[in-house]
Amino acid sequence: MEGLIQLGQELSKLLTPRLIFDVLWSTQLGIMVGMLPGLTATMGVALMTTLTYKFASSHAVLILICMYIGAIYGGSRTAILLNIPGTPANAATTVDGNPLAKQGKAGRAMGIATTGSFLGSLFGMIMLAIFTPIIGNAALSFHSFEYFWLTIFGIVICGSLTAPKDPLKGWISGFLGLFVATIGMEAMHAYRRFSFGNVELAGGIQLLPAMIGVFGFSEVLMVMKQPAVEIVSNKIEKVIPNLKDIVKYWKTIIRSGFIGTIIGAIPGVGEDIGAWVSYDFAKKASKEKEKYGKGSIEGLIAAETGNNAAVAGAIIPVLALAVPGSAPAAVLLGAMLIHGIRPGPLLMIENPTFIYQVVAMLFLATCAMFILGLSFIRVFVKILIIPRQKLMPIVFALCVIGSYALSAKMFDILVMTVFGIIGYAMKEMDYPVAPLVLGIILGDLLDSNLRRSLILTNGNILSFFTRPISLVFFLFILITIFSQMNWFKNLLKTLQLFIKKLFLKIKMS
Amino acid sequence: MKPEDMNKADFFTSIFLFLLGLIVFIISIGMPTFRELGANHYSAPGIVPGILGIILLFMGVILFIRSFIRKGYKIQLSFQGLIKFLKNDSIKRFLVALFLSIFYVILLGKINYFLLTTIYIFLFVWSFELKTKKTLFFALLEAVLIAACISYVFRYLFLVILP
Repeated sequence: MEGLIQLGQELSKLLTPRLIFDVLWSTQLGIMVGMLPGLTATMGVALMTTLTYKFASSHAVLILICMYIGAIYGGSRTAILLNIPGTPANAATTVDGNPLAKQGKAGRAMGIATTGSFLGSLFGMIMLAIFTPIIGNAALSFHSFEYFWLTIFGIVICGSLTAPKDPLKGWISGFLGLFVATIGMEAMHAYRRFSFGNVELAGGIQLLPAMIGVFGFSEVLMVMKQPAVEIVSNKIEKVIPNLKDIVKYWKTIIRSGFIGTIIGAIPGVGEDIGAWVSYDFAKKASKEKEKYGKGSIEGLIAAETGNNAAVAGAIIPVLALAVPGSAPAAVLLGAMLIHGIRPGPLLMIENPTFIYQVVAMLFLATCAMFILGLSFIRVFVKILIIPRQKLMPIVFALCVIGSYALSAKMFDILVMTVFGIIGYAMKEMDYPVAPLVLGIILGDLLDSNLRRSLILTNGNILSFFTRPISLVFFLFILITIFSQMNWFKNLLKTLQLFIKKLFLKIKMS
Repeated sequence: MKPEDMNKADFFTSIFLFLLGLIVFIISIGMPTFRELGANHYSAPGIVPGILGIILLFMGVILFIRSFIRKGYKIQLSFQGLIKFLKNDSIKRFLVALFLSIFYVILLGKINYFLLTTIYIFLFVWSFELKTKKTLFFALLEAVLIAACISYVFRYLFLVILP
């Protein structure tokens, strides 16, 4: 009850004309960023972070959350109309969204996508409100050993889930990111690692320019490399969704909301996996499996509910553990740190109302996304006819300003360019870039906690395995790694058969 | 990328990773430990990068073995192959976008931001459009308007210092 009162108070503080105006324009901007292939939610949030640097902290975080939610939803429009996901989170939306558009039901599809996103976001928001304090309280018992294993677990699970066909590449990407984080002045002795006498390198590789490069510039190069997409004009009829469609698939909505939130909360994994896993589960449980891939309303709802639920899910570990659940959440974490907010287990003690503020912000952003998503579609969809050769140089110019704005250093622009080229090469060779970015974020956490743990135990590594939570993390890491190996899969199959036979024997006797 | 090309790329990447891991490890063990200042040797700056270097080296070896088994070492380089690769439309578009962007970054701070951004956008648009007087005119107009918009919005609305 006290929580609801607190939430109401925080919500009422946000309901001023100025803030509502900011919610609307930033959500609409997010929707437009999400719609445009080549612009991702991460890029949008990263650019807005540097631009809102001078704003008050709660104001800045509100704008970023609105941009985040808008962008993850916005990509569904291009996914439906052009079969091109505006952001990776909307890849699953293309499977059933575009066939619906080809059947002349583009408006209906967009209405369903908007409603699915709205409900997914609300579900995730409720889960965030319930679970963040619980996880944060549990994390208060974390010591350096647990934080060490948490970072390794984050890299391993992120690598596995973002590169399911070749997890080795995901892990390589993650550990490379951890290495990049070691460049520069380290915290214990102020020793400059891997700077080779260069003053700029001694300051380390900043997260935002690296992220903008990996997600922004590399995307510009990828878009320009692909052949041009012919925009086929699609008549958009009624957009307001049919209530029957939503009520009929209520189980799918709840299941996808739950799955999306859980997947979003796993470090570094993100909304795209949330959408695909929700879609897969919906298909397996569906009574209309044959419609999937051919314009299934249920499939579309599952994908969009899953990806937007993952947004709030990704914010849960940001607030509770200071570990991002996705790339845009990583930028949000960076933004919070820049504005003097310290997410993590101590947030509940130092700034307990902040969680309620974030829930209120999510609620407002979700409502704005729903209203704007069903309005002016025909007007804003015209933005898709902008040819990429006109859009991409603007995107790159924004990448440059975004990298430069924070510290006014030309070195950051260089970092953005280099990481853009690295990101492009990685994508060409099927290396996921999310673990690289997660590694850069978690590198400092790993470094300080590993050394602290070794100092505390005087090099005795047994303590890394004997503490209960550490042991659990260690076992999860082992299972995640071994589950990718054929001998382990065969061992599991053998065990399954053995258990089945045992149960049959018991039944028969 | 085709599977056979991917195996070749993996082969080269594995060698790069192995060398990177080795170099990182060697540099890390050469870092001071500050024991003479009374510091605990487990706080040495080289511990974490050293361990990461070993892990990268190990992963490089696994990738090498895998790409070797898949015959990634069969690299058939030829001049004709390189010319054919460079003549590919996708590669041409990629290279134009890359070099224009690098050219923009190199000149940033040396030339007025508005002027440089105008030139960059104009060249970018014009490189990918039909070369007629009409497209030339519109490309220039769009470049000027967009560069002006970006400069104004970021300098005066968001109070961001421009490069």
